[in-house]
Amino acid sequence: MSVLNILLLIFIIVCAVSVALSKNLLVAIVIFMSQSLAMSVIWVMLQSPDLAITEAAVGVGIDSLLYFVTLKKIHAIDVEKEQEKEGETNHGENS
Amino acid sequence: MLEFIRFLLSAVLTLAGLFVLVSGVVGVFRFRYSMNRMHAAALGDTLGILCVLLGVMVAEGLTIATVKMLLVIITLWLTSPVASHLISRLEVTINDHLERHMNVVDKTAVAREKEGN
Amino acid sequence: MAKIREDYENSWWPRFLRWLRGGSTRLDDQLQEELVESSEAHLLQSPEEAAQMERQAEERVQQALQDERNMYDHVHDWARLKGARLTRALYSILAVVTCFAIIYVLLRTTSFLPPFGDPDNPVNNEVSQRYIEAGMQETGAVNIVAGMILDYRAFDTLGESNVLFIAACSVLILLRISREKDGSQSAEQLLVEANDRMYEPKNDTILQHITKLLVPIVLLFGMYVIMNGHISPGGGFSGGALMGAALILYLNAFGFQKTERFFTFRVFQTVSLCALSFYAVSKAYSFFTGANHLWSFITPGTPGKLFSAGLIPYLNLAVGLVVCCTMYAFYTLFRKGDM
Repeated sequence: MSVLNILLLIFIIVCAVSVALSKNLLVAIVIFMSQSLAMSVIWVMLQSPDLAITEAAVGVGIDSLLYFVTLKKIHAIDVEKEQEKEGETNHGENS
Repeated sequence: MLEFIRFLLSAVLTLAGLFVLVSGVVGVFRFRYSMNRMHAAALGDTLGILCVLLGVMVAEGLTIATVKMLLVIITLWLTSPVASHLISRLEVTINDHLERHMNVVDKTAVAREKEGN
Repeated sequence: MAKIREDYENSWWPRFLRWLRGGSTRLDDQLQEELVESSEAHLLQSPEEAAQMERQAEERVQQALQDERNMYDHVHDWARLKGARLTRALYSILAVVTCFAIIYVLLRTTSFLPPFGDPDNPVNNEVSQRYIEAGMQETGAVNIVAGMILDYRAFDTLGESNVLFIAACSVLILLRISREKDGSQSAEQLLVEANDRMYEPKNDTILQHITKLLVPIVLLFGMYVIMNGHISPGGGFSGGALMGAALILYLNAFGFQKTERFFTFRVFQTVSLCALSFYAVSKAYSFFTGANHLWSFITPGTPGKLFSAGLIPYLNLAVGLVVCCTMYAFYTLFRKGDM
């Protein structure tokens, strides 16, 4: 197993754990996207480019698009944005 | 000798591209405001990818793979700036405190943008 | 879609359903009887008696309501005080027990697996050997994977594409917002649509120009991946996902007014049903013949040609169309509950 393969596998494990641990839903989805991207690279290295295309189109593109739309529908993004703003102002006061 | 020059050229191009990509990633993590972050990310997406792929193309020589890499470059140069443009437009639309972060020159344009949405 | 009958409430099926659910509640029946009686009494008897009867009826109704309220209070108190705590404790215990049981079963199963990488494992039997050796001759597909999933194991892929269709149906049931009876948009639909594009930059010229350039290319690439599924890596699922992504990009750039011209609910129904029925007609006999091949006049043809490998390109096309439509339908249903 090459070094790149091992690195990608570690990356996937770290991503999966941090998706489960992250409180912010938007961040979780973005991490999930990057996990899918690493997965598609692994498919290419396992010599199955058809699966890589599917993973890239479905896992990175359409899946996360559906998640984003769902977040927008349940107004999770607005709340997060407000929290972020509050955090920003707090940060400015602290520094 | 020619072989060596080719290797050197490809190595220099790839390393330059990697440097640009790394600085883009550092920028994404260091900057606080989304416009600055977008700027850093767009740098890596266009110049970094261009340099890396050019380096790989030089190392590969003229084959069908080179043409495919050229197509990848064209696709990325078409799509990535559009994505950055959309992010910046979204920021202008939804951020009510734009003056806090930047120097707004044309206030009527910003108002028009907000009005349209 | 079948039209809803005018007197649907009185036809036999809803009446049967009502009877099944226990009909109207007893309280309602009682009330109705009281009311009828009192009105009749009002007509027949003197005003004083009628008033008294009415008062009695009123009292009885109040009593029934009070009983019901007491019952609810009792139930809620019980749930709040004792039941909730009990249930919570039971749930956590059950969760832990279930978790450990599943872990035990999985580990137990894993311990029975043959050692990894052993050449005598049941995976390396004569079936896969035969697929690899004779696959190209028998199916005519250069890509072994395509030959396997669309020829030897075609009934398997039929199930997979049906899974996608069923998923689309479930999303339709859950998220579709119905129109008004005359076909115009209902108030809920308009509200959802107004909320939907609230924060989006609309009619972005740069995005539209790039989309005009990219969407045909992506669609063409998706079609290439589908139609070359038996020659090169790829196939229905990958190509369909690509085409669906291209349609979603077009929708994001131009909005629903443009896409409604060529992709309506009717189109989705027609395309996916035609594709699925073509697949089922051509391959469902495997369920009856035990996955054996029937004799067919469709020959594999020359391996490597575009129109070769018997039915594989057409089955790939069917799967790709189903996947494409499903992806697009998911996106539109998530966004505005209609197509």
